[in-house]
Amino acid sequence: MDTSNPAVFVNSELLRLHVGRRVRAVIQVLKSDGGGSVIGKSTDDQQLVIKGYPSAPLSTFVEVIGIAEGNQSIRAEIFTNFGDVFDMSCYNAVCQLANRDYKHLFL
Amino acid sequence: MCKYAASRKSKISSNCVLSAPSFVFSSNVVMRSVSIAIRASGRIIHFFVHAIVSKSSKMMFESSQFDSQAGSGGGFFSSQNADSSRTSAKSRDNQPMCPVTVKQIVEASSADDKSNFLIDGIDVYNVKLVGMVFEKSARNTDASFVIDDGTGRIACHRWINDPQDTEEVEELMDGMYVRVHGHLKTFQAKKQVVVFAIRPVNDYNEIATHFLECIHAHCCNNKSQNNGSSAPAASTAVATQSGHQTVPSTQVSQEYNVDGLGSIDKMVLDYLQLPSSLTDERGVHRNEIAQKLKLSQEKIIETMEALETEGLVYSTIDEFHYKSTAS
Repeated sequence: MDTSNPAVFVNSELLRLHVGRRVRAVIQVLKSDGGGSVIGKSTDDQQLVIKGYPSAPLSTFVEVIGIAEGNQSIRAEIFTNFGDVFDMSCYNAVCQLANRDYKHLFL
Repeated sequence: MCKYAASRKSKISSNCVLSAPSFVFSSNVVMRSVSIAIRASGRIIHFFVHAIVSKSSKMMFESSQFDSQAGSGGGFFSSQNADSSRTSAKSRDNQPMCPVTVKQIVEASSADDKSNFLIDGIDVYNVKLVGMVFEKSARNTDASFVIDDGTGRIACHRWINDPQDTEEVEELMDGMYVRVHGHLKTFQAKKQVVVFAIRPVNDYNEIATHFLECIHAHCCNNKSQNNGSSAPAASTAVATQSGHQTVPSTQVSQEYNVDGLGSIDKMVLDYLQLPSSLTDERGVHRNEIAQKLKLSQEKIIETMEALETEGLVYSTIDEFHYKSTAS
């Protein structure tokens, strides 16, 4: 058992704090052109660019796990379909708690 | 006297709005239900807890399963029933199941050589995790995989005892989110989870909810450690597992005394325990209590109900007269 590969829960505002690290974010897919990038809306309503090739057609909400490349882009390694019903605000709250007050439980 | 108290008690408990946790276990194991009375807000709510003992008489504990409603990211969980069988309970069946992150497990210190883990100062044996499956390898008698919940990875082991277990394991694929219930143990100096239930996650709000539960449990445990009395978590956390954790350790909120009675309840009870009230066979009319203690009708009705549920008073000649059960 090891703790390598932990992925930080981020929304777009927290993404910039973790550039270069492994992150995970849930996005609502706005545009997915199959050309290697997916445009999505983060849990705090900002636009994010996800680079990568999803292995399957994407549902409305997708979790991406990958390396944060910039303030608004993630190079995704894993795409997980989260279906069409998802509570973004709840996930957003988890992101904020995981990065601030309860960081010690997550990182 | 007893039958009055008992009949009112059953009426009230049937009105309790509570989703009973439900449990999942192998069909060839024996299980016996143990009812644990837990107080919340001065009322008794009965939980039925099933303890499981496997064939090799290894102990397993209450496992509860929640299905979050679509789109709800938290709040009440509806439970779903699975087949159940009876076992004999052993002394550890009071252990609650704690939602944890892998990082918490990794950091948990070992209290002693008996492989008890301390997380936030609480003895943790049963855990629940939500994470992604990796490196799954299934054999005839057992399956092992790694759970990655974003905070770390931990090895898990699932013993396969019957066809239902095999099916459960077959469903799993790498990269899939699952909810795992099991207990912690150390194996070859590494921490591991011996899993007794795995469920694929269907509603992904469960992931966010699980982490919120971890945070909440952590909060409650720390608060209770800090000042020996917790916030009224016992009353508000009925729907979450953290409530199970705080209650057995006799934590009460500041406004309640140790019995879990409200101050008003105590006042009424005191009045009923006065020698003048005790000697009167007919009991005391609740209007009289309301008048003497200057309480409103609704308040007195509520209080009498609460006290009756606790078994501290009973109604006598009619439903308005009450007497204390202490004599």
